[in-house]
Amino acid sequence: MFLRMLGESFVRQRRRKLLAGLAILLGTTAVTAMLALATTIGDRIHRELAVYGANITVYPKADTLDVKIGGQTLRPTTGGVYLHASDLEKLHGIFWANNITGLSPELDSSISLGKLDSVPPSPVPAAGFWFQHNFGDAKVKLITGATQLHPWWKLQGSAPQGSGQIVLGATLAKSLKVGIGDRLMVLGVSDVADPVTVTGILTTGDATEAKAIFELSTLQQYADLPDAVSRVDVSARTKPEDAFARKDPDTLSPKQRDLWYCRPYANSIAYQIREAIPGAAAEQVRQVEQSEGTILERISGLMWLVSAAAMLAAAVAVSAAMATAVLERRTEIGLMRSLGASKVRIASLFYSEAGLLALLGGIVGYGIGSLLAALLTARIFGEQSGITLRVAMAHAFNPALLPVVLGIALLVAIAGSTASIRSALRMDPSAVLRNNA
Amino acid sequence: MSTTATSKANISLGRMLLRSLAHRRARSFSALAALTVSAAVSTALLTLYNDLDAKLHHEFRSFGANVVVNSTSVAISPDEILQVQNIAGTNSLTAPIAYAIAETDRKTPVVVAGVDFATMQKLDNWWKVGTWPGQPDQVLLGQRAAGFIANEKEVTLTYAGKALTLHGTGRLSTGGDEDSRIYLPLATFENWIGVQPHVLEIQVPGGAGRVNAVLSQLQHDLPQLHAEPVRQLVAGESSIVDKTHALMYGAVLLIALTVAVSVLATLSASVLERRRDFALMKALGASQSQLFAHFLLEALVLATVGVVAGYLLGSGLAWAIGIANFGTATWPKLSILPLVLLLNLGIAACAALFPARVLRGLQPAALLKGE
Repeated sequence: MFLRMLGESFVRQRRRKLLAGLAILLGTTAVTAMLALATTIGDRIHRELAVYGANITVYPKADTLDVKIGGQTLRPTTGGVYLHASDLEKLHGIFWANNITGLSPELDSSISLGKLDSVPPSPVPAAGFWFQHNFGDAKVKLITGATQLHPWWKLQGSAPQGSGQIVLGATLAKSLKVGIGDRLMVLGVSDVADPVTVTGILTTGDATEAKAIFELSTLQQYADLPDAVSRVDVSARTKPEDAFARKDPDTLSPKQRDLWYCRPYANSIAYQIREAIPGAAAEQVRQVEQSEGTILERISGLMWLVSAAAMLAAAVAVSAAMATAVLERRTEIGLMRSLGASKVRIASLFYSEAGLLALLGGIVGYGIGSLLAALLTARIFGEQSGITLRVAMAHAFNPALLPVVLGIALLVAIAGSTASIRSALRMDPSAVLRNNA
Repeated sequence: MSTTATSKANISLGRMLLRSLAHRRARSFSALAALTVSAAVSTALLTLYNDLDAKLHHEFRSFGANVVVNSTSVAISPDEILQVQNIAGTNSLTAPIAYAIAETDRKTPVVVAGVDFATMQKLDNWWKVGTWPGQPDQVLLGQRAAGFIANEKEVTLTYAGKALTLHGTGRLSTGGDEDSRIYLPLATFENWIGVQPHVLEIQVPGGAGRVNAVLSQLQHDLPQLHAEPVRQLVAGESSIVDKTHALMYGAVLLIALTVAVSVLATLSASVLERRRDFALMKALGASQSQLFAHFLLEALVLATVGVVAGYLLGSGLAWAIGIANFGTATWPKLSILPLVLLLNLGIAACAALFPARVLRGLQPAALLKGE
């Protein structure tokens, strides 16, 4: 009988159910979409912030200081201490290896460069980088290099691939008066002249514009510095720094130290890099790391607060709809009471109706909300961040959100109808019936 | 004759309106609450949305300078610095910096920089510094540079044969080039080395458009100086601000729509419930348009009151979110009021007219009989 009444109520009062259901549906849609956005926004913005380049730098523990002003090395370091490019493979073995999203080793040196036909080549600063280098291992695929770590670089033409190819910084190209496709003469330390082709012109906005750019191994050959690397820029997914992150691990108790070690702070990843690569010093780039942390916190905080506002609004709207739905049926309640139904029975009928509506509306709303969030993400963050519509859709449904959203929908629907059910039950059935006769 | 009839009708319409609102207090109140919530939410979101770009640009200032001015030949004169400051605007920060290469007490070459510490502290707040120097003979040692100094309390530096002893107050760590430098007060630097600043680091408030305007003004007014944007900062900032902006736009639309439709559903249900009033009025001789006018006016009065209450509530909410998240207040914006009002009146009008259309075909007699 109870189930039949429940079923009949849905079939016969379609319009009323539709209105209350619509309110629940829209409410859960908005809440699901906002929660889905808020939970993923941190990752998305982090990817966007990759524009600021590396958040960890690795350099050799040297016996001299860099003498650099505005990115320009004024007095070449004479010590000749380098990192070994082959040691970089060891980064695959560190605890947070999977959090390393990009790697760009750099070798600074100088070579002599001149046109094929003209007067003796003159020395210019040179830099060697990785370009589209495969730094994956059996488990992960990672194509990385200078252009990934310096997204603000503008490379006209193509990157140098192996020996015989060179890219010129924009100011250097201007002073040499050469363009893409021109051929130049390179004179390495071994004094053997090599012809090279200019494959690209690089604009960076800093001192790199005055340099000749090679593939790392090519420059190692010319400079006769096999396996040498002057510095490595590392981009890693990190947890924003907090008070615990600033602790010096060597002063912590063993248990605390393990905890510190196993959190993806820039500091602890730098610490692990120091451990893995012999003779290396690694530091978090505070300008990037600190400021990124603030921005990330602000934007995701904003999304959470807006989600909370959405939740509040949806809750009020849904409870208003539920209250109206019950108030409309006072006559029905009066009739049931006069026919001898107990208050508990009537209340449980109405609560079951509300719960069923909440579940149905909640599930559909969850689906629509998830799709909406995916659509929004794909539209806003777009293809250049590697989020096509298909990728976004594939990750649209976050199963952890379903119970949360359904729970909220149930709670709000039941809480929203409670006040009106109670007031309807308190009324004298005969008065209600007479009034509406 | 006809005018008195209309005025009479008006009075009775107004009175009926008041009565109907007052009589069904609970019902009116729940409709009002729904409209207030919808107005409050749209006010809060629109206010935040309006202020978002300014707030985000403000946050991006923590990355430090976004324009660097270099002098290609001679030092930058105090006049030129003033001119640059004027171009950059009132809320900007300009830090003149002078560089030279000196030797430490261990005969290692090191970059020494003369700066104004008060400005640097504001400009580069990611610098991790123990204690900022306050006295003219105090210096800040980059953490890598500190490794090449015998005594950090008594730092002896030599430039072109001129030795100078200074007191280190603490180490500076940034993870960048600054770590290999020694920073000293600009006045001390000038006395010692005799070099004026030749680099200006400028923090221009606002987005890429503002930075580009400042840059072209600098190039036009001071062609002897070389001004460059810090490219990754300017590009990244606009990309992130634009994306967050778009995201908020989507969120605002979504939430406003949800609330609007839910409120519409609630209101129209409560109007539908008054079929009996409708039938009674019709039976007593009210015309269709009078009934429409009654329902519409009632809804619009509720909507207007809802907007007033909702605007206040929503502005408060936006202010609280601004304080909680950004640490600065988001002030109420009057400019969004018309939009909120329009939105709410639209909802209310739809909610009143939609059921009235449904009811048009009903027979009053049948309704009153309870069918």
